[in-house]
Amino acid sequence: MRGQPLALVLMVMVMAVLTPAGAGARAADGRPQRVAFFVNGALGDKSFFDSAARGLRQAKADLHLATRTIEGGYDPTRWESGLVDLADSGDFPIIVTGTYTMGPLVQKVAPDYPDVTFILFDGVVDYAHCACHNVYSMRFRQNEGGYLAGVLAAGLMRTGAIPGAAPGLVGLVGAMPIPVINDFAAGYVAGAQDAAPGITVLRQFANSFSDPAMGKEIAKAQYGQGAGVIFQVAGATGQGVIEAAEETGRYVIGVDSDQAALYRVSSPRRAARILTSVMKNVDTAILRALRLWQQGRLPLGRTESLGLKEGAIGLADNPDAALTVPPAVRAAVAAARQRIIDGTLTVPTAFAGGRP
Amino acid sequence: MNLDLVATGTAAAVVAAATLRAATPILFASLGGLISELAGCINVALEGVMLVAAFAGVITSAYSTLWFPDAPLWLHPWLGCAAGLLAGTALAGLLAVFHLELGADLIVAGIGLNILAQGLTVLLMAHLTGDKGSTASLASFALPSLRWPGIGAVPVLGVLLNGDEDTGHNVLVYVAMAATGLIAWALRHTVFGLRLRATGENAEAALAAGLPVRRLRYAGLLLSGLLASGGGVFLGMGYLTLFQADMAAGRGYLALAAVFLGGRRPLGTVVAALVFGAASVTAARLGQLAVPAEVVFMIPPLVTIAALVLVKQHQRLATRRRAAAGRAALLSP
Repeated sequence: MRGQPLALVLMVMVMAVLTPAGAGARAADGRPQRVAFFVNGALGDKSFFDSAARGLRQAKADLHLATRTIEGGYDPTRWESGLVDLADSGDFPIIVTGTYTMGPLVQKVAPDYPDVTFILFDGVVDYAHCACHNVYSMRFRQNEGGYLAGVLAAGLMRTGAIPGAAPGLVGLVGAMPIPVINDFAAGYVAGAQDAAPGITVLRQFANSFSDPAMGKEIAKAQYGQGAGVIFQVAGATGQGVIEAAEETGRYVIGVDSDQAALYRVSSPRRAARILTSVMKNVDTAILRALRLWQQGRLPLGRTESLGLKEGAIGLADNPDAALTVPPAVRAAVAAARQRIIDGTLTVPTAFAGGRP
Repeated sequence: MNLDLVATGTAAAVVAAATLRAATPILFASLGGLISELAGCINVALEGVMLVAAFAGVITSAYSTLWFPDAPLWLHPWLGCAAGLLAGTALAGLLAVFHLELGADLIVAGIGLNILAQGLTVLLMAHLTGDKGSTASLASFALPSLRWPGIGAVPVLGVLLNGDEDTGHNVLVYVAMAATGLIAWALRHTVFGLRLRATGENAEAALAAGLPVRRLRYAGLLLSGLLASGGGVFLGMGYLTLFQADMAAGRGYLALAAVFLGGRRPLGTVVAALVFGAASVTAARLGQLAVPAEVVFMIPPLVTIAALVLVKQHQRLATRRRAAAGRAALLSP
């Protein structure tokens, strides 16, 4: 996340000059091909965008692409023009961007720039209603990760291993009731119900991705009611949930990136409260897409759905909390994971019409 | 005592304690807003001041362990607190210079400083920690909480005074309460308070009366910076123990609204700040009762609008009553 744009531009320029001949994909003039990553927000969210940026960095190292990250900020009115500027500049044969909100914008812009390839992660365009032959979109089955989190949380509650917590209660703190977060939640509720039928899932949204104080207030309310584990799907707001877990001596499940790793050095006590994180491996998914593109095998004009089976969703391993989770609960999570991968278990989703 | 009654009382005390916690940053900032508003200089930069203060406090408390490795542990948060207050007050001082020396429009300069604070804190954070989101990678400190000994077991009162986790309220919660009383008293009963208000009511008259208007306005703006900084420091080193980009999340603007909602009076401002705090706490708790999220988020703005209408209505009635009384006095022989 040392994403100072200037440094990045410089690095891109240096890369362009120094990359040894014969490495990776090149344009006709022998220079590495340029990839733009448009962030509709800012890096440093400790989860989603940072993971994507990791993927881009990996792509730069492994695939010898010249990458450039453009942070569009949190003002939605600037996103479309930012995207158009990138496509119109002609500097980038391929543009990577993500999130559900960017879907309609890509759908609007892509047909005007047929020579530019768009990779849209965690969002979709409506291929039936646009000439988007140049768009590859990938969707994540985050409900599968949410399901495992639910099995873990409810399983742990059932063992009664958490002092002071009510056995029939787990919590969920979301940032906003948008489809992706609802999808996490749908899986979580289903997983909790399957692991402990009749369990109550407290659910509350903070209405912000960047208000940790609100996140903490909500988490305290849920822990106060007796929830032993809270699954937070709230971006930076979730850091408040993690603080509340530390203060109340209860547990939290992180999201998108391995959030325990963040605190392992600065605050081991806090890290020990994070049972695991539902990883949305945006980084590996983007790397994979760029590799396919380089090989000319990227399935343009369609949506791919990525989940546990593809390794795009998974649970992080937090050694600090390992002792907290009894082997039986661990086994239940592993079994659920296997059943989802085998296809014998279908996790409910919040998206209309299910999965592609 | 009836068990149900105790349970209800405890639940109410939990909400009251949470309200206190949630209202404290707004309370600090709104007291600051009130003082500068009374001095005739509305401080729109409260939000920015809070951000800068929170940032400086968190960063200083974390780095202080590196700078003074031999210092006792309790010192670091207080160093952070001092740095936060200083940095926030400095930002308000900047606003004062822009307005009072260079003649900049208060609103425009205030909004400018808010944007500056937003960007500057992220820029410095990225430079210092390599992270643009939050200071989670730093071990920063919280200011201590004050716990009343021996009442943890008392039902209701224990929860009210020591919080739902029996850890006590943060020291800044008490400072906010003390500041409220002090300011209400000072505005009413001290020469400084009178002069400050006179400057705001009618600057020319105050000037004609020989008051140092410019100096008083500096004082008003700097004091507002100091108070709002208290709110920022509480956010980063009490409510939470980290700095997160844009963590003030509009509380500075809410504080400004609280000043006017409270009719530019100390008591009214405090009540308004508490109402805002209660509204956000209610929002944080109502979701558990299967109330749709959309409805929950409407509560704080609805409360604001309703309160504004009520206050306005009240003022109109009061004016009418005064006018009627005046007419009656004129007509009576």
